[in-house]
Amino acid sequence: MEKSSRTRDKNQKTASQSAPGSRGKFVPDMAVEFAGIHFKNPVLTASGTFGYGKEFAQLIDLSLLGGIVVKGISRQPMEGNPSPRIYETKSGMLNAIGLQNVGAKKFLEEKVPFLRGLDTQVIVNVFGYSTEEYVRCIEILNEAEGIAAYELNISCPNTHKGGMYYGSDPRMTHEVTVASKKVARYPLIVKLSPNVTDITVFARAAENGGADALSLVNTFVGMSIDIKTGKSHLPYGTGGLSGPAIKPLALRLVYQTVRAVRIPVMGIGGISNAEDVLEFLMAGAKAIQIGTANFYDPCVSERVIRNLEAYCKQKRINLSELVGTQSDLMSSG
Amino acid sequence: MFNKTAEVRENLLLSDGHYLLSFYSPLQARTARPGQFAMLRLCDRPDILLRRPMSIYDVKPTSQKSKLPELMQVVYKVVGTGTKAMAELKPGDALEVLAPLGHGYFQEDYQEKLLRADEVLLVAGGIGIAALLLSARELHESGIQQRLFFGGKTGADLVCYEDFGGLVQETILASEDGSKGQKGFVTVPLERYLGGNKGRKILIMVCGPWPMLEACVGLARGYGHPCLVSMENRMGCGLGVCLGCSIRVKGHGHGAYERVCTEGPVFWSDHISWAAGDTPEI
Repeated sequence: MEKSSRTRDKNQKTASQSAPGSRGKFVPDMAVEFAGIHFKNPVLTASGTFGYGKEFAQLIDLSLLGGIVVKGISRQPMEGNPSPRIYETKSGMLNAIGLQNVGAKKFLEEKVPFLRGLDTQVIVNVFGYSTEEYVRCIEILNEAEGIAAYELNISCPNTHKGGMYYGSDPRMTHEVTVASKKVARYPLIVKLSPNVTDITVFARAAENGGADALSLVNTFVGMSIDIKTGKSHLPYGTGGLSGPAIKPLALRLVYQTVRAVRIPVMGIGGISNAEDVLEFLMAGAKAIQIGTANFYDPCVSERVIRNLEAYCKQKRINLSELVGTQSDLMSSG
Repeated sequence: MFNKTAEVRENLLLSDGHYLLSFYSPLQARTARPGQFAMLRLCDRPDILLRRPMSIYDVKPTSQKSKLPELMQVVYKVVGTGTKAMAELKPGDALEVLAPLGHGYFQEDYQEKLLRADEVLLVAGGIGIAALLLSARELHESGIQQRLFFGGKTGADLVCYEDFGGLVQETILASEDGSKGQKGFVTVPLERYLGGNKGRKILIMVCGPWPMLEACVGLARGYGHPCLVSMENRMGCGLGVCLGCSIRVKGHGHGAYERVCTEGPVFWSDHISWAAGDTPEI
């Protein structure tokens, strides 16, 4: 409660500045300060669902976005898992891509020049098979200018080594966060796995390890079986479930995490419209990422930002006033 | 490539479970090239999450007066939840369409061999026919001889071949149950033709299910003819970002997989790895 009323005071000031003492035209302030990073709005696109930005340039105005989290990058290129890698489920999808990516060096040469030219924040998702791999990947990426933050991927469920291994043992979460933070030139956001018994343990492990912020959640490990063959629909076996189907699960984990740590939280999981964003903000997330919706609705991020702004205009509030407004929602019945 | 909401004009039942869907989308229709595809999504069906990749079968004007294409057409067979819902579409319904997508048959690096061929053999398996009409028309305009080999499980699978009538020298039909055309796999008459025309510079264009593609690619290799295959796979986005449709190609490391939606859907057959386990059974 204290936190939200403080936020409100600060923003009432901003609101009155942009609409001097009247019911006249109100332009809401959509900006968010998150772990020292200025986002023009709280809407980012999630890693693995937006490529390296360029793929969407024909469809939307990328400069409208709060930020882009690029596909997971590892020190060495990775070839990914056998095909087929995805399977649709009701209001969701399973994926077992396996982090196919060009590797850190090629990313710097081929992808960063375009990303740097964009008027939006660029966050690089970092993956490794071992603590040393995470560190060395970050060391390579540190050479790049124009990166806003690193998102440490300790939660990918689709590789046999690394990834979720670090996200399902709090000591490993702590170790990789400490080691990465030590070398990282940019703020460090740790992306948590939902496939744990108590996510707050991992949130605190990352916070104690020096994480500047958290993002959650990655996909839920799931399965789908072809009853004609008795085999999984994915040759990898399991896959990560994403899409609207996981939104209530993700929202609850964000709500819990926000109350367990002092560092800011970015909400991810099944967000596909402005109402979903509002729910995550009310649960306490300071910013959000849109993931799977980019696949089936490639203009979704632009529309969400527009509708979010319209909502704030109509309510005559600044966006930051919405964050954590429902801190007592568990007891409000 | 454009993202549009298109209006359904017609959803015509062709044969048991096979439909020809026409929708109004001038910009997408005018920019489509042979072998490209569209990603379709039904409005108001949030339970069916992903768009469905469909070959662009044809583009045409809405009336005889207008010269430029305004309608886009896809041919589909009802096989699962998505296509079952598509079969319910009625004129006036809205459809989300992302198109045209992918690299088709007439990519610059395919052109040279294509235009040097004495004859192109179009080989379709079932609904694979949908990837070949625009190509047949363009080849016809370039004065290249063509033959259509078209196979299916039953006669009901053999749809749309009449549309190729004025474009190809000959249409050879085959069905596994013998209900239409020759009984058996389409690769039997294909092999017979290849065997009897060894001196000709033939190029094969094929689209169909994986086992049929493999058989055709084997024949092309055996007779030493270049072969362009139009691949299919489950797709998440159609834009090249989800990497869900990647297939194994001849390369190493990161280059070992290429995206059907972006580098394809049309590939030279010898670029693809046909080893067991590399081909997705979808």
